[in-house]
Amino acid sequence: MSYSILIVDDSMPMRTVLKRSLAAAGYGGARILEASNGKEALTVMEGDWVDLIMTDYNMPEMNGFSFLKKVKNEALFKDIPVVVVSTEGNDSKIKEFMDAGAAGYVTKPFTPEALRDLIVSIIGEADYEESIDDSDDEFDF
Amino acid sequence: MKKVLMTAMTNSISEVMETMFFMPVEIGPEMMLNDADIDLNNALACRLNFTGDICGNIDVISPEPLVAELTSNFLGETKAGLTWEQQFGTLSEMLNMVCGNALKNVKCQQPYRLGIPEEITSSDLNGTAECTLIKTMDSTMAMLLSILVSQ
Repeated sequence: MSYSILIVDDSMPMRTVLKRSLAAAGYGGARILEASNGKEALTVMEGDWVDLIMTDYNMPEMNGFSFLKKVKNEALFKDIPVVVVSTEGNDSKIKEFMDAGAAGYVTKPFTPEALRDLIVSIIGEADYEESIDDSDDEFDF
Repeated sequence: MKKVLMTAMTNSISEVMETMFFMPVEIGPEMMLNDADIDLNNALACRLNFTGDICGNIDVISPEPLVAELTSNFLGETKAGLTWEQQFGTLSEMLNMVCGNALKNVKCQQPYRLGIPEEITSSDLNGTAECTLIKTMDSTMAMLLSILVSQ
């Protein structure tokens, strides 16, 4: 099964790194959608189904927390797991996100292994064959 | 408190640089930015504001070739085709990670919040301020912590 993953981050380099980390974690075959803030992500989601959302917290226009609340309050989107990938890693912030319905929280810096373990626990293993076929990345940590 | 914050920042730098940029670093001495042997006219600089028990900002100033190397390592692309956006975005992300990672380890009453990194130029920098040097294999960048309000 090929997954569709939405990456929401205002940093273009960080979106690239997340894509490469996903490929390294075995999700190279996933269809990756991108948005640079929560508002843009909601627009993307109106036109495309996604299986998993990975969002930053600190973004202009609509931050990751407001975005998470919007997703969880929308009947069509509320079951989509949302993983927060953020530099802000204090316990109260993590609790705030988890209480609001986040499926997981990854603090930067992270390793692809940590990212993989979390994603597998949420959406399951990637189709390894497909991931290898579709990925032209030579990415090794 | 500034010393506690700076210690947290320097510990964080090593972790971020090794984990995300595959670049071991050595934390150098503190000195005036003007004495740091960094050509400010050929450097990229970035500032990040933070608020919490202490409010302030942290600047990173890096020679352009070092930014290119960081970006190349971070994105897995060759240095030749890198755009300014990629390079500045990478430097911003590095500062963001260093600061966020450091502040989560500092005991506080009020959780710290980070701003959005912004580009600064040499005219925004105080050359007589004390900065901490971060030495890589073949280059050096500087990090400068300024406390604005202590609550």
